[in-house]
Amino acid sequence: MSSLVEERAPQTAGRAARLAMLDALGMPLLAILLAFVGGALIIWATSGDFGTVLAAYEGMISGAFIKTRGFSETLVATTPYIFLGLGLAIGFKAGLFNIGAEGQFYIGAISAVWAGIVFTGLPAILHLPIVMLAGALGGALWAGIPGFLKARTGAHEVITTMMMNYIAFRLTEFLVSVPLRDTLSSAVQTLRVSPNAELWSLWQIPQRLSDRLNALAVAIFFAALALALARWFVARGDMATRLTLSRRRVVVGGTGLAVGALAFFGLPALTQVWWPFSDQYDRLHIGIVIALAAAAAVWWLMYKTTLGFEMRTVGANPSAARYAGINISRNILITMALSGALAGIAGTIEVLGVSICRCLPLFFSSGYGFDSIALALLAKNNPIGIVGGAFLFGAMRNGADLMELNSGVSKYVISLIQGLVLLFVAAPSMVRYLLRMRAARKIEEEAPLTRGWG
Amino acid sequence: MSNTTVSVPQASRLRLKIGPRQLLTAVFAAVGAGAVFLLFNAIIGGQCDSQCVIGTLNQSVRYAAPIALAAYCGLMCERAAVINIGIEGMMLMGSMVGYGVNVYAFTWMKQNGMDAATAGDISRALALGLAVVSSGLLALLHAVVSIRFKADQIISGTVINILAVGLTGYFYRQYLAQNIPPGPGTFPPFDIPLLGQIPLLGAIMFQGQKPIVYFMLVATLLIHYVLFYTPWGLRTRAVGENPRAADTLGVNVYRVRYINVLIGGLLAGFGGAWFTLEAVDVFNPQMTNGLGFIGLAAMIFGNWTPFGALAGALIFGLGNTINTTVSIFRPDIPSQIPQMLPYILTILVLTGFVGRAIPPAADGQPYEKQ
Repeated sequence: MSSLVEERAPQTAGRAARLAMLDALGMPLLAILLAFVGGALIIWATSGDFGTVLAAYEGMISGAFIKTRGFSETLVATTPYIFLGLGLAIGFKAGLFNIGAEGQFYIGAISAVWAGIVFTGLPAILHLPIVMLAGALGGALWAGIPGFLKARTGAHEVITTMMMNYIAFRLTEFLVSVPLRDTLSSAVQTLRVSPNAELWSLWQIPQRLSDRLNALAVAIFFAALALALARWFVARGDMATRLTLSRRRVVVGGTGLAVGALAFFGLPALTQVWWPFSDQYDRLHIGIVIALAAAAAVWWLMYKTTLGFEMRTVGANPSAARYAGINISRNILITMALSGALAGIAGTIEVLGVSICRCLPLFFSSGYGFDSIALALLAKNNPIGIVGGAFLFGAMRNGADLMELNSGVSKYVISLIQGLVLLFVAAPSMVRYLLRMRAARKIEEEAPLTRGWG
Repeated sequence: MSNTTVSVPQASRLRLKIGPRQLLTAVFAAVGAGAVFLLFNAIIGGQCDSQCVIGTLNQSVRYAAPIALAAYCGLMCERAAVINIGIEGMMLMGSMVGYGVNVYAFTWMKQNGMDAATAGDISRALALGLAVVSSGLLALLHAVVSIRFKADQIISGTVINILAVGLTGYFYRQYLAQNIPPGPGTFPPFDIPLLGQIPLLGAIMFQGQKPIVYFMLVATLLIHYVLFYTPWGLRTRAVGENPRAADTLGVNVYRVRYINVLIGGLLAGFGGAWFTLEAVDVFNPQMTNGLGFIGLAAMIFGNWTPFGALAGALIFGLGNTINTTVSIFRPDIPSQIPQMLPYILTILVLTGFVGRAIPPAADGQPYEKQ
């Protein structure tokens, strides 16, 4: 929220920057630590036995990392957290407290399922982007409505997004149980999406890549990634002065083409010869790669583009933004739509890559969207922080089941710990008070996220 | 900073004013209600006679209770300029504690040789009390975080909501999900002696309701009186509109805010207890279903006044009742569609299509003493 100030820090003084860094990194870590201590106290108090605390945390760790497929399940849970955290962070940066990620997640999921069912016979290179787009559009629309209402009438997004959540739950329930229902199945669930719309599990990759079109899709993805990286690399200070503009274009284009070609011809052959993932029960899918790419893209959007600058300015000081000629209404709408689109993609990925039936069942348990509020605030809306925080939250979520099994401690203790994390992140002065720490420097006034209901 | 400008509270906020505008609103409301009823009756095939109308309205008042109490919680907090979106969490906490205490206190007392009727009365009262206290404790946390540590009030409210989900879920799974001993059930309904005899109104409001509903009705009057006719109410409103000026005149801004948030939390606790001690005799972790947020919408609809908030809550209560009735008479209509209506209505309230609202001037701003 005080990002504009923080960014200037490195140029002014190294010491101030180091302190700011410590504050940005140290406070969240302290908050996590304190939250786990708080969780331990609650388990201890309710069980009356310190051994239970140890058993619980030991179970959580082994469930998250050590047991068979534990680590890859942690990454499976990390993926939607990354998307949702990024989506919420975009909103928070622009001063919009979108707490409707859960609903946007559901609408994204059901839109993707719809697109996965109605289109048939398309190759994956077309169908997968289409379902992703459908999910993103669904989420964007769902978040866009509160955005539009905020821009036009000032209706506060905290209540409207929450209400949109409940509408989304009912709407999804209706769509799953009536129009999209698989009437042949005994469980209430939608029809199965077309196999080409499924998100690839890692073990499937050698087989998927043996299809030329799929290999082309992967090659395009890697070429785009290489292009972006190369473009960033040649635009850096010394490179920019050494090479002329046309040379730079050649380098960038060449790198993209080369990587693309290498991926197109090399990857199918390579994966036939050597591929570490062969476990067919491993649910880890390519979504994690897409999520990491999305984190990079969001970072670029927020810090390297005019739109991102405008969004951050509106968040930091709307009046100043208005005087500077930034269109606030347009910004609110775009921010909410982007935020919702990312949440929608999270839902899409969950349903196309993780859901066993590759469909949307009636009891599709999520909670990802609500957890992500704490996640985005813990990460201070920083994309890198979100990737780290998502991994932590994914590990906790994945470890919870074994924890409950081993120690008999309810897995809801996870929500409790996440709530405590948020509490300590929200009130850093409380952490300082609890630990009798003195503030390292005068803390800048943080602009409040909210400006009343007006 | 807007808190340095002096704002003049509107006359309509100070007392109930009956003028042409209010009368017009009342006429519109009556016509609207009539239209809603005709539509409702058409949907269920004209099966609602006068008895059924009274029954429907009676049930609306029942459903309005938690929404109104949530709205009063928001009202007490925001009149002192503390935004509270943690009402949902406070109510969830209240309903969980209410249910747990009711069941386990009853079992314990029966094991110790008390007869079932007395044990039921005591455990229900104890459950209500502890539900209110637990919700009050969460409110105190909200107060400390947002007043003492000056955290963003919306985030602090979110903290309360997430913590409440964690706490209630934890205790639910640990103690209330299976092998629950038989409890004493919910409060029994009763009639109010004199008021129940009033024609029509008596049958709708004062007959066959349970204690929390009556408490809600009393609270409406009480809050109205306290806010607009006592020194405490004046201080509260001053702190909500212009804390700097109030501070200059010797009002302890922090103290007023703390106490108001606490009172709000207690009210939300009654609202939470309604779910498990009046509505149904079970607890589930999704019990409150956004009613805390709907309460905030009712508060905004009522322009931060208790009677206005009650009117808003009654509209939502009516909506809920109609939903239930429609789903009984017309099982062919997918129940999810009418279930969306309260939430859509809430959004419409917020956009100002239904009623315009002016919040207290300093709403949501932490106060820094100079």
